[in-house]
Amino acid sequence: MMRGILTSLTFISTVLFPWPLTVLLALATSLFEPLVPLAAGLFADTLYYAPQSGALPFFTLYGALATAVALFVRSRLKTSIIRG
Amino acid sequence: MRRNALLSSTNLSWGTLALAGATFLLLLRLLAPNFFWQIFTPLFRVSDTLARESHAFFDGFGNTATLALQNEKLMNENAALANENQALLKKTASISELVPDTRGIIAGIVARPPASPYDTLVLSAGSAEGVTLGMEAFGAGGVPLGVVSSVLANFSRVTLFSAPNMTVNGWVGRTNVPVIISGAGAGALNASVARSAGIAAGDIVFAPGPGMLPIGVVTRIDGDPASPSVILRIMPILNVFSIAWVVVRDTGAALRGAFSSTTPILP
Repeated sequence: MMRGILTSLTFISTVLFPWPLTVLLALATSLFEPLVPLAAGLFADTLYYAPQSGALPFFTLYGALATAVALFVRSRLKTSIIRG
Repeated sequence: MRRNALLSSTNLSWGTLALAGATFLLLLRLLAPNFFWQIFTPLFRVSDTLARESHAFFDGFGNTATLALQNEKLMNENAALANENQALLKKTASISELVPDTRGIIAGIVARPPASPYDTLVLSAGSAEGVTLGMEAFGAGGVPLGVVSSVLANFSRVTLFSAPNMTVNGWVGRTNVPVIISGAGAGALNASVARSAGIAAGDIVFAPGPGMLPIGVVTRIDGDPASPSVILRIMPILNVFSIAWVVVRDTGAALRGAFSSTTPILP
C-alpha cells in the first residue's frame, strides 16, 4: 500500500509540485520500487521535453541512473550475508 | 523459487506499472500529440496556479530576518509616536484651558429654502450642543451666512443676512469701501454706496469675521443718474439651496447688537 502511495505521489508531484520534491520522492520510492525513478523521469520528459531544443532528455537519463543505482544496491543487499 | 527483482510482493510491482504507464504516455505523445496535450493542458493550468499561490505564500516567509528588523523598527517608531502624541495631547489640553474653543459647532441643515421659510435655515444643533442666540453661522470656506435667531433643545434657526431687515457692516471693492449690507429677501443682498466710490459689477463684498470674509459679489448697480449714491445688487457667494452644513460660533454679534440698541454711539 505504501509503495502504491509513494509511486502515485511521485507522479502527481511531477505535474504539480516543484522538481526537487519530485526528485526526493522518486529517490525515497526507489528504496522499495527501483523502477520508479526511471518511470518518473520518462514521465517528466514526456511532459516537458522539447525535441526542438536539441538537449538530451535529462530526466529520463537521471532516472535511469537512479534506477540502476537502486537495482545495484538491492542486488548487493540480497546477496549479502546480513540478509542470509 | 527465486523472485524477480522487479516483481515484489505481487506479480506486477508498482514500479513496473509506473514504467508501463509512463511508456504508454510517451507513446501517446508521439503518436497522438493533440489528444495528449488536450488531456494534460488542464493539469498544467492547475500546476501553474498552484505554483503561483505557493510562491506568493512562501515569499511571505522568505525574508524573516528583514521582517523581524522592520517589525522592531516599526515598534520603536510606534512607541516614539505614542510618546509624542501624549506630549502633544498634554500641550493641547493646556492651550485649550487658556484659549476658548474658536472652532465652533458643526451643524447639519435640516431644512433650507424653500422647505424652510425664505432666508432662514433650520439646523440640527440646539442648546444641547451649545448653540446660543446671536451666534453666527458660517458656510464652507468661512463664508458668513447669518445669525442664530431661535434656539430649541436640539434644533436652531438661522436668519440669513439676506432676510429683510437684516443688516451687517461690510466692505466692497478693491479699496474696501465701507458699506451697510442689508437683506433684500429671497437670498439677495443690497447695499448703498456713493457713486464716486467707483464700484463695478464683479467686485467682492466682504463681511467682518476673523478678518474680512467674502459674503457676495456685486452683480448689478442701480441708481438714478441724478442721485449721488447707487444701489449695489449683491448675490451671495454660497447658494443657500445647496448648503449641507454650517459652522456656528460666537463672534460677539449679540454683544454688538446690544451695544447698538442701548447706546447710539459706541465708546
